[in-house]
Amino acid sequence: MKISTRGQYGLEALVYIALNSSAGPVSIRNIASYCNISEAYILQIFLVLRKAGIVSSIRGAQGGYVLSRKPSEINVKQVLEVLEGPLTPVACIVKECEEPCVRYDICSTRLLWEMIRKRLDSLACSITVADLVEHFHAMDAMQNPDYCI
Amino acid sequence: MKISTKGRYGLRAMVDLAVYSTREHVSLNNIAERQMISVNYLEQVFSVLRNAGLVKSVKGAQGGYILADEPSKIHVGSILRALEGELSVIEYESSECRNMIQACLKEMIWDRMNECLNGMVDSITLEDLANDYRRLNGLDAITYYI
Repeated sequence: MKISTRGQYGLEALVYIALNSSAGPVSIRNIASYCNISEAYILQIFLVLRKAGIVSSIRGAQGGYVLSRKPSEINVKQVLEVLEGPLTPVACIVKECEEPCVRYDICSTRLLWEMIRKRLDSLACSITVADLVEHFHAMDAMQNPDYCI
Repeated sequence: MKISTKGRYGLRAMVDLAVYSTREHVSLNNIAERQMISVNYLEQVFSVLRNAGLVKSVKGAQGGYILADEPSKIHVGSILRALEGELSVIEYESSECRNMIQACLKEMIWDRMNECLNGMVDSITLEDLANDYRRLNGLDAITYYI
């Protein structure tokens, strides 16, 4: 059960934007350079995030990306679902499952997978980009005690 | 984030054993028939389960497999880890953090998700799943011991 780099970089980029957008839109180049991945990959991820209404692109010389909503209104579940699909350990418990299992009703392991899915879902739902930013600042303050002068 | 076929089928086969091997060894053919899994595939899965000390095999005409311990003492986590390796929501290699945002995501999301996932599979036993299986398959009503 793996969340791919797509979901991981997507979240990393969103936190980067949240941390750096006070001076205006954040360029793809800066995001790609911080995350250490190609601009093409970031663009691909942002195309999906833009369609989902999570980021907006601003055109022009000072253009780039901004969050479409407040950081406190974007949660980890929303981001991972648009980039990765449903957060599920197995495919058979998802409504849109392509090959519905004939044993669905009598399968006891299904109950386990559903319970895992539910718990991971609610955990992901409870963490917002604002929480991530706050935690980042806390970690930063721990590492650089002289940060605030 | 997916559990592979090996883990899914292996867990189902273990639940089958927990339900049906209460008195005697169960052959892979019987499990295959009930669970609609190929015998070849079960052979692969059971060689892993046997090496992990989760099942015991007996050769011969009345041979087959039996659980190595009481269903209430076998946790789902042990079965899944034997078949899937360490359970994590992200790729192991990428768990190394290259910058502070990644370290932040690890602490706030991935570590907590992994803790949640591992805590759950370690708290649920094969007996729990076997009880669900009996209930869902209408085996509750049968009186085994008179």
